[in-house]
Amino acid sequence: MNGFVVVQCGALTTVQDLGRPGYLRYGIPPSGPLDRASFLLANRLVGNADSAAALECTLMGPWLEMRGESVIAVTGADVPVTVNGREVPRWTSLPVSPGDVVKLGVARRGLRAYVAFRGGIDVPLALGSRATYLRGTLGGFQGRQFRDGDQMDLLPPAEGIEPVRARRVRPEMIPSWQDEVEVRVVLGPQAERFTRAGIDAFLGEPYEMTTDSDRMGARLQGPAITHSRGHDLVSDGIPLGGIQVVGDGQPIILLVDRQSTGGYTKLATVCSFDIGKVGQTKPRQRLRFKSLTVPEAHTLLRQEFKRLQEALL
Amino acid sequence: MYPEPKFLPAGDLAVSVELGDEISREVNARVLALEYLIQQKALPGVLETVPTFRSLLVYYDPSSVGYEALVAALRALVPQARPDVLPPARTVEIPCCYGGELGFELEAAAAKVDLAPEEAMRLHSGADYYVFFVGFTPGLPYMTGMPERLTIPRLETPRTRTPAGSVGIGGSQCSIYPVESPGGFWVLGRTPLRLYDPTAADPILLRAGDHVRFRRIDRQEFDAIAEAVARGTYQVKIEEGRR
Repeated sequence: MNGFVVVQCGALTTVQDLGRPGYLRYGIPPSGPLDRASFLLANRLVGNADSAAALECTLMGPWLEMRGESVIAVTGADVPVTVNGREVPRWTSLPVSPGDVVKLGVARRGLRAYVAFRGGIDVPLALGSRATYLRGTLGGFQGRQFRDGDQMDLLPPAEGIEPVRARRVRPEMIPSWQDEVEVRVVLGPQAERFTRAGIDAFLGEPYEMTTDSDRMGARLQGPAITHSRGHDLVSDGIPLGGIQVVGDGQPIILLVDRQSTGGYTKLATVCSFDIGKVGQTKPRQRLRFKSLTVPEAHTLLRQEFKRLQEALL
Repeated sequence: MYPEPKFLPAGDLAVSVELGDEISREVNARVLALEYLIQQKALPGVLETVPTFRSLLVYYDPSSVGYEALVAALRALVPQARPDVLPPARTVEIPCCYGGELGFELEAAAAKVDLAPEEAMRLHSGADYYVFFVGFTPGLPYMTGMPERLTIPRLETPRTRTPAGSVGIGGSQCSIYPVESPGGFWVLGRTPLRLYDPTAADPILLRAGDHVRFRRIDRQEFDAIAEAVARGTYQVKIEEGRR
């Protein structure tokens, strides 16, 4: 026996891995974790490859009962975690035993917590990935979110991986989710379809996250961003982090479960290394946008990669 | 078509190559040809591509290729991206049961464009459709080729639920709903085929560049094909090698 039973499924718990590349041209999004950095640190804490399947847990829950020995780690949102009622630290590896009950409470800061298990969750590969695409009922556990009573198996740890030892994430690498975050963007692909005043509003004022947001897109509310020639466009591809501005001038950031194409003008694109911040922003919290050039964004991307490589103690 | 392609940055992981600003077979064929050349030459650093009417979104790995180097490589490929480099297209036969409870808006749509339902069916099923690209949701084809006579305003109030497999028309376009979804097209019929089947090894039926022909079937054949599809024994009729 290994794996765990889902005693309480929580608000929205799915199996994710690093995603399903290559199928956007058929309309299938990559899926995967919204906060990629927290996700892969959880895997590294338990000695897994970055791509192992783990849980994305939204806002609250789940409660899990372990069926075998394992090592787990919880990262991402600041959520209280208990094992058999005793509070345990996050951002660290935790050995667990059969019968242990692991409970995630309600997120205090941030929105999405990640739980990794040594070996990774054993669900079938769908188009090469274990990531759940909810709207397409594809991948993950039966293509859907967890329900009470679901049973998950774990894969045996890969041969040759180092025996697990106590690990933790450097304290300075642990994010503290703020009420207002700075999100870096590259302007374009259609920035020229907006007025100067519209772009100034977007870069000058904070935008609030609304409740009408999910893994597909984050709808924001703030000063109207005015178009210069209407909001319609001959439909084209939507990149990760693409910011569509619809007719009322409000922005929508398209995320990991996004539609592959669309016909609204896109003012800017959130840099890949700041998608996690968007995914961790709760409704009514604010985002401020800062514009970078492509070379600046690539420099920061390299720094972020290096930071993550050195994140564990 | 633009005299020179435009390269539009789309964040730190993608660039959009725009070849024109119009919806036409000519521009779209060049987009598909560019995508095909990128695949054939295995352009370094390119992770995936998304073709649409007049542009190609190119996802890349900045740790393998820099932005300027990628744009230079793409710029060099564009002049070679002529429609004749593409392999012959496929023609996919889509059986469609028109009218009745499956094509519940056939009569209203025909009346709207002042045709007898039989004539609307004949025109719709007699045409040769071309798939510009597949996108928005899994497996949804953006097609051209509908007879002009069937041009119809979209529904004033979009329907909240359109059954999967519905074949609909709106504006000058025809589409097929791969999954149950809202919709503003008039539903003329339904196909028993699955344009998106998450349980299949190859879950998407139609591809960019395909030709599509509808074949009229009756309710009895619809049910028989639906059963064969569910069992996984139905062979979709695909004709290869069309120029």
